[in-house]
Amino acid sequence: MRAHSKAAALLVSAVTVAGLAGCAGGGSDSGKTEVTWFKLTETAETANATIKEVIADFEEANPDIDIVLEERSTDAHKDALRTTLGTSGAPDIFFSWAGPGLGGEFIEAGASLDLAEYYEEYGWEERFSEAAMGTVTQYGGYDGVPYTQRGEALFYNKELFAEAGIDAAPTSYDELVAAAEKLTAAGITPIQFGGTVNWHVMRLLDSILETKCGEDGYQALVSGEASWADEECVTETFTEFQTWTSEYLNPGFISINNDESSALFFGGEAAMALEGDWFNQSVRDNGMDEASVGVFPFPTGTGRIYGFNENNYISANSEHPDEAAKFLDYITSEEAQEKLIDAFGSQSVNVNVKPEGGSELDQAWTPIFENATGVYMNNDQNLSLAQTTEYWRIQNLVATGQLDPEDAGAEFQKFIDQS
Amino acid sequence: MSLSTVPPAAVPAAAPKPRRKARFGSGKHDYVRAGLWIALLFAVFIWTIPLIFMIFTSLKSEADIFGTPAFVPPWNPEWGNYVSALDRGNLLNAGANSLIIAVFKVPIGLLISAAAAFALARLKFRRQRLLMGVIAMGAMVPIQVAIAPLFQVIMGLNLLSTHVGVILPYIAFGLPYQTFIMYGFFRAIPVEIDESARMDGAGNWRLFLQIILPLSLPALAALFILDFVATWNEYSIALALLQSQDSWTIPLAIQGFQSQFTSSYGPLNAFTIMSVFPVLIVYLMFQRYFVEGAFAGAVKG
Amino acid sequence: MSTSTAPPRPRSTSGSRAQRRAAKVSKTGFIAALPFLAPALAAYLVFVVGPMIESVRISFFEWSGFQGAPQEFVGFKNYVRIFTQDPVFWTALSNTIIWVLLSLVIPVALGLTLAVALNRPLFGRNAFRSLFYIPGVLAPIAIANMWRWMYNPNFGVGATLAELFNLPWLGEIQWLGDQRLALYSIFAAFVWQIAGTNMVLFLAGLQSVVPEHIEAAKLDGASGWQIFRNVTFPALRPITVIVVVLTIINSIKVFDLIVGMTGGGPAQKTQVLALWSFTQSFGNNEYGMGNAIATVLLIITLIIVVPYMVWTARQEKNS
Repeated sequence: MRAHSKAAALLVSAVTVAGLAGCAGGGSDSGKTEVTWFKLTETAETANATIKEVIADFEEANPDIDIVLEERSTDAHKDALRTTLGTSGAPDIFFSWAGPGLGGEFIEAGASLDLAEYYEEYGWEERFSEAAMGTVTQYGGYDGVPYTQRGEALFYNKELFAEAGIDAAPTSYDELVAAAEKLTAAGITPIQFGGTVNWHVMRLLDSILETKCGEDGYQALVSGEASWADEECVTETFTEFQTWTSEYLNPGFISINNDESSALFFGGEAAMALEGDWFNQSVRDNGMDEASVGVFPFPTGTGRIYGFNENNYISANSEHPDEAAKFLDYITSEEAQEKLIDAFGSQSVNVNVKPEGGSELDQAWTPIFENATGVYMNNDQNLSLAQTTEYWRIQNLVATGQLDPEDAGAEFQKFIDQS
Repeated sequence: MSLSTVPPAAVPAAAPKPRRKARFGSGKHDYVRAGLWIALLFAVFIWTIPLIFMIFTSLKSEADIFGTPAFVPPWNPEWGNYVSALDRGNLLNAGANSLIIAVFKVPIGLLISAAAAFALARLKFRRQRLLMGVIAMGAMVPIQVAIAPLFQVIMGLNLLSTHVGVILPYIAFGLPYQTFIMYGFFRAIPVEIDESARMDGAGNWRLFLQIILPLSLPALAALFILDFVATWNEYSIALALLQSQDSWTIPLAIQGFQSQFTSSYGPLNAFTIMSVFPVLIVYLMFQRYFVEGAFAGAVKG
Repeated sequence: MSTSTAPPRPRSTSGSRAQRRAAKVSKTGFIAALPFLAPALAAYLVFVVGPMIESVRISFFEWSGFQGAPQEFVGFKNYVRIFTQDPVFWTALSNTIIWVLLSLVIPVALGLTLAVALNRPLFGRNAFRSLFYIPGVLAPIAIANMWRWMYNPNFGVGATLAELFNLPWLGEIQWLGDQRLALYSIFAAFVWQIAGTNMVLFLAGLQSVVPEHIEAAKLDGASGWQIFRNVTFPALRPITVIVVVLTIINSIKVFDLIVGMTGGGPAQKTQVLALWSFTQSFGNNEYGMGNAIATVLLIITLIIVVPYMVWTARQEKNS
């Protein structure tokens, strides 16, 4: 009997060992140093290709380093970071949005390595703009290396605007509403959003909030200094927001996601899209005639641009911080940035790289950035994770007519007060 | 040993008899049957709509998807969707992961469960049924209850994003149900078999490996298929434990693909179809065993 | 469970004379059983029971879930929060209950109907059976994708049919966007997925109906319904228990379908406890809250399961 049990145990362990052997995974059999990089998939496919190209360039120059890229979509990437950071499964480099609600949480949890030494070694402080450096030093140390500086604005289909009898891009909120009204009257969906990814419709809500509450009001609300329950402008915001969702958005927005809704813009079925500068490339990739697309800032009247920063952080427990820093130095270098901003169609974080050339659409962003007096950030970066979840719930309740806009602010404040 | 062949052979032989008799039923019965048949045909049609819809879409070009009604067959099949799905989706790698995991998990898990069920059903010790109850309860508890701490355990073992790191919890979470089913099956085997085996001097291991297990082949086959399918399709544990893309299984790859390329409806549906192929093949191949197993199980239980 | 603890020796239970004799012959006791049990018990304790206990423990702490982040003991605060302040918990709870109750009715009844229909000799019977069962082998996450596509408001089945038959109201239905409808739209996919499985189980159960009994009942002049009630249905009882148990298990832990189709939205109206627990832990980094919800789910499960197990133990004892 004992012999049998031993045999069975042997069998089990043999099989287990075989299983272990079967999953070599990230072994460094080639003697190279592997540096893993978790990053967001770029919206435009050509941008993804460019990143692979830049990585290949780096690996060619540094044959002893192997960059292992893992790309995910927005929500999957957030999930992956939340579950791996601080653990042995953490990547060496991770991309994150820099705002306190996202990147800030990771830094607070000690997931990011202080890069002061590398900033000195590579002279990074001179390389990046003041605004970009602000996102690095906002938590007290040197956390992360700037990657992109994103701006978001309204893309519009010039042909559809003309069809509805709109001559010029709106410059005030009232003009924007009037334009939406005209588009609706002409049987055109004024603007597209995809509601299943909550952060997409949130852009509209955030922008109306900036419009109605102004710069100071917006900052006071998102930083918890003002109460969402007491400010009249919050009710106005939600009221306006509900008007948009019930009248001007693509019907059924709540049950599709941003990719699906973007298809409406590319297909000429929706006249506007509230998107970031990465969308230039998507417009091209999806075969839209670029000449028919224009872009103008959401007319909040405050002069601030809607946007956010994205940084790449080195994990606190990375085993190869030197190699990781070397790579981050390369991708923010002038050589790599020239390539990247061509594909991204955005502003470079490297102050020496000026947006030159590019299409008319790319060029249209330059004045938008230059004229901006500041940035109002996407609220999923301003609020904590739990608050963001609640913000989205209330946003969707109002959007679908299940919550009176009058009660929305109080409902949200109730949640903030409890946590 | 000869005993083991008796029940499965006897069972299917009994089945065709009434069938033949019924075929020559009265006229009234024929009408009923025709009506039933038509109703079933209609039901099957409804049932296959999602599949048809998916297959059609997977073969349409983007222009056709947006331009033609969904029920119009793809007259000009766009096989490029499949190529594009393979190209972008990491499907082969995910398939290999799923296969490796299932190939190790299923037999090991079944063996362990069967051994436990044998002890619980055919050996005697105190609090035996309480123990069976405690184990069976594990089958009732939603996996998600334990997923956050499970993540910590696997991380502590340094097994995140590895095959072993997911095989072990899969085995553990499969145990309660499998043990429970086999416990019922084993108990239905007449005790006289044990008795005569022991008379011949068989010990517990021989009884288990040479008599009870072979007698239970139908149940084992059924559980094997069920478990293969369940393992192949498992999502929530994999979601938490397999972080690196290299280690993704098929369900993670599907979800990853859908979140990255949502509006590429053609490739997305092609991807989904290709991802379900292996289980479909396994199911169609082993369907007979599966039905027989369930059949025999029910007869005995 | 108390009933099953009662019989320490086989003598007092169902053991037949032969069983007792067999027990005498075998090496009795736990020691002999241990080699058979050990691997299962070890895996079960480490990966199932351990994490469950840990889950209950964490539910009394406030913790972000990050390694190295402090765990602060807060007593019942997490429970107070989910019961009185969490705006989603009650939605998730009631959705879970609705889901379980509906699952016990619709897919079970459908499975039984199909099984009875397909138990007769029919042309193409096996093809029918296979087709009904196929959704049961597909990954729920794949099913979610298929159905999400069918429900697509612009290109989905509803939209297509609306265009085909000129029914604008049909095209306007927001299958997954309407808060009152979304849960049931997902449930439809669940029915599609699981009815075939129930059918196969019932079919297996129907094989235990002894044809001679039916013939005898017919000779006695029993009607079709009477035969079903008095001969077929009693024979189906064991399998029905299995179906009911499986249904409860599967429906209480529904997760993949909802993640794949709505992610709990719109406005968290399709949340269920399993997903909300996961969201709180992994999405909001509120491990304490997430595990408190998991503990509530655990308790609900036990409330359902323990009486059932006591009942079956009693049944077994009586038979």
